[in-house]
Amino acid sequence: MKREEIIKAVKAYHSAAFPAKAFNREKDTVRYAGRVFDENELAALVDSSLDFWLTEGRYSETFAEKLSDLLGIENVLLTNSGSSSNLLALSALTSKKLGKKRLVPGDEVITVAAGFPSTVTPILQNGLIPVFVDVELPTYNINIEALKKAVSPKTRAIFLAHTLGNPFNLDEVLKVVKEHDLWLIEDNCDALGSRYKGKYTGTFGHIATFSFYPAHHITTGEGGAVATNSEQLAQIIRSFRDWGRDCYCTGGENNTCGKRFSQQFGTLPLGYDHKYVYSEIGYNLKMTDMQAAIGSVQMDKLEAFGEKRRANFKRYQKIFSAWEKFFILTQPTPDADPSWFTYVLSVREDAPFTRNELVTFLNERRIETRNIFAGNILRQPAFVDKPCRVAGELTVTDFIMNNTFFLGTFPGMTEEMFSYVEDCVAEFLGRFAK
Amino acid sequence: MIVKKYRSEVVSVENPLADIRTVTLRPLEKAYKYNPGQFLHLALDEYDPSRPWPESRCFSMQSSPDQDTIRITFAAKGKFTARMAAELVPGKEICVKLPYGDLFSSDHDKAKSVFVAGGTGITPFLSLFTSAAFAAYQEPRLYFGVRNAAHNLYAADLEKARGVNPAFRLTLLDEEKDGRLDILKILGENGPSAVYFISGPPVMIKNFKTSLAERGVPPENIRTDDWE
Repeated sequence: MKREEIIKAVKAYHSAAFPAKAFNREKDTVRYAGRVFDENELAALVDSSLDFWLTEGRYSETFAEKLSDLLGIENVLLTNSGSSSNLLALSALTSKKLGKKRLVPGDEVITVAAGFPSTVTPILQNGLIPVFVDVELPTYNINIEALKKAVSPKTRAIFLAHTLGNPFNLDEVLKVVKEHDLWLIEDNCDALGSRYKGKYTGTFGHIATFSFYPAHHITTGEGGAVATNSEQLAQIIRSFRDWGRDCYCTGGENNTCGKRFSQQFGTLPLGYDHKYVYSEIGYNLKMTDMQAAIGSVQMDKLEAFGEKRRANFKRYQKIFSAWEKFFILTQPTPDADPSWFTYVLSVREDAPFTRNELVTFLNERRIETRNIFAGNILRQPAFVDKPCRVAGELTVTDFIMNNTFFLGTFPGMTEEMFSYVEDCVAEFLGRFAK
Repeated sequence: MIVKKYRSEVVSVENPLADIRTVTLRPLEKAYKYNPGQFLHLALDEYDPSRPWPESRCFSMQSSPDQDTIRITFAAKGKFTARMAAELVPGKEICVKLPYGDLFSSDHDKAKSVFVAGGTGITPFLSLFTSAAFAAYQEPRLYFGVRNAAHNLYAADLEKARGVNPAFRLTLLDEEKDGRLDILKILGENGPSAVYFISGPPVMIKNFKTSLAERGVPPENIRTDDWE
């Protein structure tokens, strides 16, 4: 059987197995996120499986190249998740190869507590001290004045996410970075396709991270990436990703450096096989070629997905602006054009209902909601006794923990779903309208 | 920089000396992207993306990244390069993958740079000398040893280097008349704080590197372009 015949059959299978379906408001769920794909992703996945190369291969090259071209970033390294990407980005900054610029245990890294744990955990895992700064409404991003006050002589880096696709104030953060000679890692996991002053987020810091989990802007199932314009950082990140090895050959390659058996490393014998020389304490966090096959097709849809996310955000904003007396509606950061990961909103303190009452009502009607991840991460069981510094008060962070939730803006949302959500919201809020 | 595979066409093959050939390649799909001092892998057998990369050899890009084409120089010494000599003719389609190497990409002091090249080992330096990036070097000095005057094939590129960086100084050694490059003399003229870039035959690189290290040049100031 020829490969082309298999691919043709796969495409036919897609049509049969995943037919377009109208939303049924009596039994279907309005998801907060979901993968959006067609026959091309399935065909690429099978095509890759027929190569049976499995590890990083031709589709990985294509996917990384597409992401690199989009961002205009020289180096893109694919990983097995956004969280792994965060771990790699932060760990890379501890490399001895960076000399005096390297982070060492006890150094401080500024971040926020209202976010996803894997922005914070790499800081702790590397023996560094997270410094938590409050966020602000209605952007849900770091409070710039609090950030400026948080910098201490021990501060060496800033590690921030663009919250739910909304870019943080990059101009101001970059001023702090420059003034204090800090590293900046942009956690861009929730923001692929967002722009700040016309430029993609993930292109401003020293390193940026990306996630391709199904909830994100494009998906590879599990998967992520790290991007940097620094050749040195790219080499270090690759080493951390690939077991800590010094060699940069991809799977199945040998001696791409041309000096595999002729180098001297420390007290190893001269010419010790470069493939087995380890210059970092690394991991194995690579993406498979099958995941990359899906990603390379999804990349072609990123722009259209982003437009749909923006349109879906507007649709939700229209629904909830009618109830603004009960909610704080989110707004883009000035000069930003977010590709919204979700539609986030907060129940006002004086509202006649609580966040949990509303989300319980919605979930009972099969409308999925999520909180802003960890809320105030300092109150999470795993983090209560961990070393950290809190700069100022985390008042807004606590407010978000208690009052904020989000709904889905993913491209699979349809007008029928919005209409259903609109009716359910009206049903719940109508009783408080008078 | 991401390593990419480029389908390429041989534009020209120059054969200025019996054993040396300079090949110019042009990309058939997308523009080449690399930094000065980097190298490529060249395969002669057809590349099927769904199969492993075929047998290949490394060659330094001699051209500047500012150019659309890539030039490489090789000496037909072994089995693979003999095949190259026989098979690389204008119009031939091949596949190369690049870029590799970090000769000039990793951080280094540009205040005083000494380039030491033997024979065709000069090629990675030429890619820097003829690119705009070379203007950032403050006192660049090249010591270039060739077998005899006939082997000095790079006069045009070196002249271009002077245009890019007027501070550029060249010491050309005709080994038949002047003797071989003397690393101790070079060290004496430039001191241990200069950054030394060495490229040429493996034995030359090894000996020069050892000599510099033994005389107090810090390891980070000795950069070599050495392959097996």
